[in-house]
Amino acid sequence: MTIQKWIKTPKGYVTATLVSYLIIASIGSKNIMGVKNGIIAICLAFVVDFLYCRMKNRKSSKDSTVITGLFISLILSFTTPWQIVAGTAVIAILSKHLLVYKKKPIFNPAAVGLLLSIFIFQTGQSWWGAFGDLPAWTIIFLVIGGYLITDRVNKFPQVLSFLGTFFVLLLLMGMLNVGNAADAFRPPFINATLFFSFFMLTDPPTSPAKYKNQVLFGILSAVSGVLVYGIFGGLTYLFIGLFIGNIYSYLQKRSSSKATVLTQNVKTQYQTRTSRNACR
Amino acid sequence: MKKVDKKWVLLCSTAIAAVYSAGYYTTESQAAVQPIQQHIVSNLQKNNDSLNGTGKKVVNSQKNKLYKDGTFTGSGWNRRGSIGVQVTIKNDKIKDVEISDFAMHYSESDVVGLPDEVLKKQNAQVMNVSGATYSTQAFQDAVQEALDQARNA
Repeated sequence: MTIQKWIKTPKGYVTATLVSYLIIASIGSKNIMGVKNGIIAICLAFVVDFLYCRMKNRKSSKDSTVITGLFISLILSFTTPWQIVAGTAVIAILSKHLLVYKKKPIFNPAAVGLLLSIFIFQTGQSWWGAFGDLPAWTIIFLVIGGYLITDRVNKFPQVLSFLGTFFVLLLLMGMLNVGNAADAFRPPFINATLFFSFFMLTDPPTSPAKYKNQVLFGILSAVSGVLVYGIFGGLTYLFIGLFIGNIYSYLQKRSSSKATVLTQNVKTQYQTRTSRNACR
Repeated sequence: MKKVDKKWVLLCSTAIAAVYSAGYYTTESQAAVQPIQQHIVSNLQKNNDSLNGTGKKVVNSQKNKLYKDGTFTGSGWNRRGSIGVQVTIKNDKIKDVEISDFAMHYSESDVVGLPDEVLKKQNAQVMNVSGATYSTQAFQDAVQEALDQARNA
């Protein structure tokens, strides 16, 4: 595949956008540590992915490995020690291969790595690659990139239902003076929310394709995310919200797969009976 | 699958932007309150120190000292939250540092060892060993503010 063709694929779009964010955020923060972390995360992700696929004789998706590494480096603070960046990448890739249904990951691998790294390594996640430390006008980059990705993977119902529910619930929290809604409406938290909804929520293997299911996925993720934010605060709320959505998507796939098997069985039985009757 | 009509996307995006704006303005007073409260606390401490009778005596008797004796509060904040500290000084030495308020979006365990580091170094410049840049920065600022208040004019 040529570069021109690759860049038009959804994974090509996401990779190009995330790389450009890495460059913009590094220039804005005048620090090259984030790029260094990006290289470490991608390399480690590649090594673990290669070894696992070799052991299990499986095919590996190099694009998704790069994307996972990029997510990790853009979300973890660029001052994070390299060992922790590497550890997070290893967890993410292992979850991609171990927590699967029909060879597809159930949970967003980068989100699993990042959530577990909070508890295992006590990582400080700054979402610096979402321009959380840069002037507010840089959010425009997130919106433009996010619009292009969401359109490319056809996930507008999911993103819009997530953002709509998320902001309505936060507005209610603000009006009732519950929790810390003020922070969630402002940088760097609004940057994190937009980056998350445009790039992580829309991951095709871990989210539904049908519009009705996309809307439910978005609402479920937003409600659970806001609940976690309201009760516990911290930075885990987006990931936990996403996992609830991922579980819903997994259950949907399982039930529709069971229904397909059932229909096929009925069809086979019917065909066998008809052929027997014809023989008689 | 057929793509979503762009008119619907525009309509929904406008509605979401309106809800976001309403939320932003509704919480504006809450967002402004946090740093102001911290300032009020530190200013109160400063005023109490200069208003009470003993305060003057202390200043006079400690003219050659770098810091006044007593307990001083300071606060540091950034986009990720705020930290309040109480610094106790005696004979130009930092005797005790306590984190009196922790309102960062990170774990408090990130900064739990920093007060001891201040006691060891006898200044606010602590090392960011855990990668918790924002919490460390807020803590440093808080200790520095307390030390600035304690400084003899």
